[in-house]
Amino acid sequence: MIQLILFSLIGALLVFALFFAMRRGPRTEGSSKALVGARQALNSLQAGLLPPELVERIFAPEDYEYVVSQAPKDVRDLFCAERKKVAIMWVDQVRQQIRSLMRFHLGSARFHAGLSFQTEIGLAVDFGGLLIACRALQVLLYLRGAYSAPRMVGATAAAAARVCRISEESLAFLNAASIGGLGDRSAGAAHLL
Amino acid sequence: MTVQLRRMDVQQAASDLRHRTLADIPRSLDRLIYLASMRDYNTGLYYHDGLASRFTQEVACEALADCHREAFRQLVGCSLEELVHQMEAYMESTCTNASDFLTAWKKLEPYRVAVPVETDPLSAQFLFSSFKIALAILESRRHTHPVEPVA
Repeated sequence: MIQLILFSLIGALLVFALFFAMRRGPRTEGSSKALVGARQALNSLQAGLLPPELVERIFAPEDYEYVVSQAPKDVRDLFCAERKKVAIMWVDQVRQQIRSLMRFHLGSARFHAGLSFQTEIGLAVDFGGLLIACRALQVLLYLRGAYSAPRMVGATAAAAARVCRISEESLAFLNAASIGGLGDRSAGAAHLL
Repeated sequence: MTVQLRRMDVQQAASDLRHRTLADIPRSLDRLIYLASMRDYNTGLYYHDGLASRFTQEVACEALADCHREAFRQLVGCSLEELVHQMEAYMESTCTNASDFLTAWKKLEPYRVAVPVETDPLSAQFLFSSFKIALAILESRRHTHPVEPVA
């Protein structure tokens, strides 16, 4: 009787093991999706959101000075409202892409990238700090407008660029050739770099 | 190798376009509108018969797309003051009544269809926002210094 229970338990354990092993199959595909997602987030940050010329343009004080000197109050108000909208959109998109990169590092990076434990800890601290800074900046921009925190904007953009550089190192093995098989879209994204 | 050759053809075609056609259109705004007008709204493909006859249709299309993206980047990089100047000059070049022009641009927002495909949403939104402000500045100027009707 004891033997029967023992063998049943072993059998049940094997069935569970088989079940979990079968579930691991799609994870490979999910993992490649995570890689492509991370690469796209990195592209979006480096090519679309963080280039200094775009950040400088969105928060350019000379535009504000020009409007103040040239336009009546209603146009000044329109200018401030429009720039505030774009500035909040910028922080929001930076935050979203950073979150996407962070998800990759939390979930999949260790399977692909040769990051040291120290680098991973440093990166985790950077991600955490950056997300908090983005949220704080969003609140500040919402309450006081696009020109309220120029230093914080610069510091956030610099921190995001630093995180991108570290992420880029961990994704360096992922070149256009290796993701070519994942579809044209992914290949196109990698080609942009 | 073929891809590399094709890329060289595109660069050559883009250079040809810059030196022949675009040399006569110095302002980025005018270039953006001109290049957007070369695009078929239904397919998103660009057409330029002269360029296509010198190269191929595909190469001409990619060269036009490259120049369109370049004009867009230049315009995004302009200061608001520069954008207002460009818009004012463009308005004058169309020989349209300024009031009609401003009303049409405010209502129809034609600049929204003038951006290249796959432009990142933030840059596009920033440019649309700048256009809106530039139009408001031009309109406010007209109220401050109204043009005397010709007797």
